[in-house]
Amino acid sequence: MGRILLLRDARGEYRATIGEEARVSIDGVTIAATVWAPGEVRVGETGRAWVASSGDVRWVFLDGDVFETELQPEGRRRRVAAAHGSLSAPMPATVVRVEVSPGAAVRRGDTLVILEAMKMELPIRAAADGIIKAVHCKAGDLVQPGVALIDLE
Amino acid sequence: MTFRRVLIGNRGEIAIRIARACREGGIESVAVYSEADEQSPHVRAADRAILIGPAPSSQSYLSMSAIIDAARSTACDAVHPGYGFLSENAAFARECERAGLVFVGPPADVIERMGSKIAARALMIAAGVPVVPGVTAEDQSDEGIRAAAERVGFPVLVKASAGGGGKGMRVVRDHDSAETLVSAARREAIAAFGDGTLYVERLIERPRHIEVQIFGDTHGNVVHLFERECSIQRRHQKVTEESPSPALTPAVRGAMEAAAVAAARAAHYVNAGTVEFLLEGTGDAARFYFLEMNARLQVEHPVTEAVAGVDLVRAQFTVAAGGRLPWTQEALTARGHAIECRVYAEDPADGFLPQAGPLLLYREPAGPGIRVDSGVVEGGTVSVHYDPLLAKLTVWAESRDHAVARAISALRAFPVLGIRTNVPFLIRLLNHPEIRAGRMHTRFIEEHASELLTPTDPPLEALAAAAVASTISRGFSASEAAPSALDPWGTIRGWGR
Repeated sequence: MGRILLLRDARGEYRATIGEEARVSIDGVTIAATVWAPGEVRVGETGRAWVASSGDVRWVFLDGDVFETELQPEGRRRRVAAAHGSLSAPMPATVVRVEVSPGAAVRRGDTLVILEAMKMELPIRAAADGIIKAVHCKAGDLVQPGVALIDLE
Repeated sequence: MTFRRVLIGNRGEIAIRIARACREGGIESVAVYSEADEQSPHVRAADRAILIGPAPSSQSYLSMSAIIDAARSTACDAVHPGYGFLSENAAFARECERAGLVFVGPPADVIERMGSKIAARALMIAAGVPVVPGVTAEDQSDEGIRAAAERVGFPVLVKASAGGGGKGMRVVRDHDSAETLVSAARREAIAAFGDGTLYVERLIERPRHIEVQIFGDTHGNVVHLFERECSIQRRHQKVTEESPSPALTPAVRGAMEAAAVAAARAAHYVNAGTVEFLLEGTGDAARFYFLEMNARLQVEHPVTEAVAGVDLVRAQFTVAAGGRLPWTQEALTARGHAIECRVYAEDPADGFLPQAGPLLLYREPAGPGIRVDSGVVEGGTVSVHYDPLLAKLTVWAESRDHAVARAISALRAFPVLGIRTNVPFLIRLLNHPEIRAGRMHTRFIEEHASELLTPTDPPLEALAAAAVASTISRGFSASEAAPSALDPWGTIRGWGR
């Protein structure tokens, strides 16, 4: 029994088991995965992927496509931002103002949070219509990229 | 005759491109940078670098006085403006001359003339260059505008004479709808510009955007360096460019090249420039119309460099220093096919919204026929202050099919992680059957958005790679090593410049 990781993206959750001799099982299907060089992973027989991490976000470049998944830390239950919403900070930033509160209905493009980074105001906008489920930040917070600021449903 | 020291009034990939041409030509180069660009690669590409102001462009790269002061304080004899920023600013070209600096580009009065759409159109008509058929009706009543539309022939575009930005503009397809649409255009024109004068132009649907590279010198020589097709655009910005255009027959190509040279001669054009045309129809029946003239080096100049086997920036210096063009028209030939893909920090799935943030991983492809012009490095940061262009991938191959295949292959080996880019989108675009077949128009991306943007489910391999990335110990993942530690300039600040 190897180490178990839970990965998640906008479309679902995936359970990865890191086994012996560089074998990884994803939802029960096993594949070889070996770190080749910094940032580079050999997957399967011939696959070549590039990887990078930022906080809990795992970035993978494979065959010209990019996949963003979020690692769900073991023993910790935490809400995550939709992988394709702009609901986390694109860079380390300070929260200037939170424009919404839980329960509010928002339209795609509405400004939800205003961040400040490098002396510039940076609005975080809703990527789709929805209802604000939770707000995880407040004015003055220093926030990191990839960490959810707002949950939108 | 040449320059001793040149100031590069720009940033990013084009500043690096110019610095390389300087180094090769034995010219010393001076870069300028804003506070946000202290760590940017273009600062190190030049022989010296001068801080010119804070991050906002208005106080740095667009500040004429800051750039001219930097050129004077370093005893430069010329300024290369690159593209964008001050490159097509006639006042800046004049200020340079006044300060005793040669502006590497066309003379100020040429920039001015080409900057005015009305003046440029009048000049082209006089020179016999075809323009989009249209009229400004003398009878400006709604009835008069309708009559003008009948004369031009439906469908037409009714535009505010004073206009811009799509305000006071309406597509009118028939006589019956004209009444309401003309009055709507007029109301909008009055509200936006305080002038309700309307202009009627024939609507060109799904045109191709094809441009011709031209080059003139101060000895009266003007040549063209073939065409580039730039029909693939989003938000009015080009995404891919190629040469030759798959749409042109030899007869139409010849006519377009001749029109571009006539346009350049009429404008008394000196240095590198581009004449843009809209192309309508197909085969020998295709017609082209003058759109505008770009009085500068274009972003997509590597496409021309690849097919013609020339160095346009080097030639710019030769001509700016008073020399003759390095080529005659007869000596110029185009060979094979070149395609440029602009790699942008943007999210195609979110309306191509520009992205900023850290480049956790950035690896460029290499190989025969592959050229990458970039202004970023792994471990660097893409700032919110400037254009989101990260790199230009230009491939050359013997045929168009081979060039498309080479571009796709290179993009599949161009991983950029940490911020979203259009790399996956570019691959889908080049794989599209219509693009493969060379059939495209300026609204192609808009009309095929859903096919080009469908998200892919992560394959097993990608999830396995993500899982393994999670187990990588410190120092063995590009992202976990502190970016500044990879970069000596990140720790030794302010040294050497």
